[in-house]
Amino acid sequence: MSDIDFKTALRRGARDAIGIPAIILIGSMTGYGALAHDSGFGVGLAVLSTVLIWGLPGQIAMAELYSAGADLLAIAIAVAMANMRFFPMAVSLLPTFGAHSDTRLGRVMQAQLMSATSWAYIMRSTAPRAAHARVGYHIGFAAVCLICAAASTALGHYGASGLPQPLALALLFLNACFLLILLVDVREHPALVSIASGVVVGIPANIALPDTGLIVTGVVGGTIGFLVGEWRGRAQMDEERP
Amino acid sequence: MTDGATDPALTVVIVAILASFVWRALGAVLAHRINPEGRVFRWFTCVSYAVLAGLLTRLLILPMGDLASVDLTIRVAAAGVGVAVFFLTRRNLLVGVVAGTGGFALAVALTT
Repeated sequence: MSDIDFKTALRRGARDAIGIPAIILIGSMTGYGALAHDSGFGVGLAVLSTVLIWGLPGQIAMAELYSAGADLLAIAIAVAMANMRFFPMAVSLLPTFGAHSDTRLGRVMQAQLMSATSWAYIMRSTAPRAAHARVGYHIGFAAVCLICAAASTALGHYGASGLPQPLALALLFLNACFLLILLVDVREHPALVSIASGVVVGIPANIALPDTGLIVTGVVGGTIGFLVGEWRGRAQMDEERP
Repeated sequence: MTDGATDPALTVVIVAILASFVWRALGAVLAHRINPEGRVFRWFTCVSYAVLAGLLTRLLILPMGDLASVDLTIRVAAAGVGVAVFFLTRRNLLVGVVAGTGGFALAVALTT
């Protein structure tokens, strides 16, 4: 698994994306395209926002706040909070690319390509292990996702008027449902504890602190998961010791 | 929206792009100093999962905009259906997502 070359990894990443991730993206980005249309964005801006924001919760926050007439600062804060996950995600993804992300430009580009889906897929144990293969896999995966997302944003924008309301709402819900199932499918113990703590901490934190609740959730929930993982790791090492 | 020299929609999109990019760039800068075998790396991985879980509670339980118009019971029940079907079909991701989303659409259609 770790011996595959860059090109093979690129193709494998693309192949893994063509399938469930592409189907989910096509559905949810069609929903976003329709929402962007109804919020007053032209098709060009809708596609631009998909490709360059590249994080659906932030995009939805932007479109909904804009149509509600919120001011620019409020929109910036809401989008930044909805997409702040990219910070810890980049820190936990890029070091695994080894020397292939040695230049700052290279790292920023990989971070820009990253989405919750590409991150979750590359964190799975079936993804390539070697640094160069991971880079290829990530580029192949993200390229397919970006193309599907851009095309379906445009499609949703043009077809917005023909989309029945329950379906339009369901397409916005689709992404959350996908993320939920990706998270319940995680097998690693520290990650699972972090997810469970994130849910438990997340509800009160997001109610009490609408702006910074996610940061609090990440730090508290993640630290609990981390400490449990370290503790278990040490216990395991003690057991294996003769 | 009319296209002009000061299209407010364009300004909003640019601001939103920057508001997302800042986090990615910050992560890219910090990532260089992190050892992938070390504790800091493991902590950031855990934080990522917790943030994703927190984001999920926000999307499902405390959404804003259009989704907030749908009853909380429907949102949570549909998510539960998705997870249940996922495990009942031996972890079939697509069937789970389609069941959850389909159940959501159906419930919205029946209650409005």
